[in-house]
Amino acid sequence: MDKAILYDATKCTACRACQIACKGWNELPAEVTTNRGTYENPPDLSPDTWLKIKFKEVPKNVGIDWLFTRRACMHCTDAGCVKVCPTKALYHHEFGFVAYNKDICSGCGYCIEACPFDVPRSTRNLLTGIAKVDKCTLCTTPGLDRIAEGWEPACVKTCPTDALMYGDRDELVADGKKRVQALMSKGYTNAYLYGERELGGLHILYVLDDSPEVYGMPLNPQVSAATIAWQDVIQPLGWAVGGLTLVGLGINYLVAREAKLTKELPGKREEE
Amino acid sequence: MKQYVERYRKPTRILHWVHLSAFVLLFLTGLTLFIPQLGFLAQDSWSRVIHRIAAVVFIVAPLVYIPMNAKASLRGIKDAFTWNIEDIGWLKAAPRYYMLCDEEAMPPQGHMNTGQKMWWFMVLVFGAVFVITGLIMWFGKTTVPATLLLWMVFIHDIAFIATGVMLFVHIYMSVVHPLVRPLRTGAWSSMMTRGKVPVEYAKSHHGKWYEELAKAEEATDK
Repeated sequence: MDKAILYDATKCTACRACQIACKGWNELPAEVTTNRGTYENPPDLSPDTWLKIKFKEVPKNVGIDWLFTRRACMHCTDAGCVKVCPTKALYHHEFGFVAYNKDICSGCGYCIEACPFDVPRSTRNLLTGIAKVDKCTLCTTPGLDRIAEGWEPACVKTCPTDALMYGDRDELVADGKKRVQALMSKGYTNAYLYGERELGGLHILYVLDDSPEVYGMPLNPQVSAATIAWQDVIQPLGWAVGGLTLVGLGINYLVAREAKLTKELPGKREEE
Repeated sequence: MKQYVERYRKPTRILHWVHLSAFVLLFLTGLTLFIPQLGFLAQDSWSRVIHRIAAVVFIVAPLVYIPMNAKASLRGIKDAFTWNIEDIGWLKAAPRYYMLCDEEAMPPQGHMNTGQKMWWFMVLVFGAVFVITGLIMWFGKTTVPATLLLWMVFIHDIAFIATGVMLFVHIYMSVVHPLVRPLRTGAWSSMMTRGKVPVEYAKSHHGKWYEELAKAEEATDK
């Protein structure tokens, strides 16, 4: 049974308590940032910031809409990062999340390149290539696993307006649809439940009162063609070509050795 | 007449073994990211660090060799891109020759036979592909667009599969195939300490090349 988080953008006040709770629970240090003239802070995700609220100002006929979205791993069912991870440090949790075993991360960074949402971040030495990736594990990090305890993720637990809910994915999808219906009946005709179908179903669902584009979310996120060409075509091809070559060389050896022996010792072969 | 002829000069032999060692290291450390079951070897980036060290050797070795052996390098590169009708003859004879050890079927070959030339051509082309895509992935990791980096891995992988497979073939053809046995009288000896092969081997495996050698020797004798 898949679990999920439902984020209701219409209820979010951007208090950013979820950001603090995430750092607190996952023992992530604060980052020193500078005032950029916005409440949005820190400016971006980082190895130490797995969750942040993104602010967006959209001009309206009168005034502006001040829109908030949650930026963190979307825990895709069809996850590009899991597809490319060579060490299987990124894997699907039994509840459908994209869990992460940092100990076996090789730091290759393919997940960063394959993520349609630009989420994973790494600490990286460009010269040596030594690196480690980090991202939201939906509170399944070994040793800090709230989900295994049957608890809500830290961000959900702390959310004061219940803009974040945690539970069975099916129930949350049904709940989200109801909320979208309610928004539509109130005149928000572009209201949308994001994550129901995107990438095979995300495990973070978004109730939006406008189209995803307005919120700055990718309309039709896809695992990139490069990822598919590499993982589904080239890798199997490598096994096939490598395997056939070894088998071919083996056959060649047996046939050629036999032929050479026959040539060199015709009399002896006939006697046998 | 001499009993042995030199096939590869000392600098060439050194380059061969240095480059091969670097390539095998690159191949094995690359394999840790290709085979999930070997993924544990890539933990904490160490196989990627070795990959980079080997890459430096892989790039620097020819850069040192080429200026010191400019004439040989130029000739070698020219050879790789010189193809003609005689190569078809090799291709036609290859199945009989390599499967049935029918040495009569094979027309006389030059210093490199067509198969060796194919491998040498791949070494040059895919070597360049490896270096270009590798350097982009190494130093462009944080600046180059993500999609481009993924395509670089894709191309790097194609080169990896092609040259990896050909490396098996190369090793097989030079030390395992019945026609190059026993080792001390076969291709193996051309890359070993003296770089020489028996005249018999030169005649039977590289007849055209041997004739050129013999002619050149005659000319100097006169």
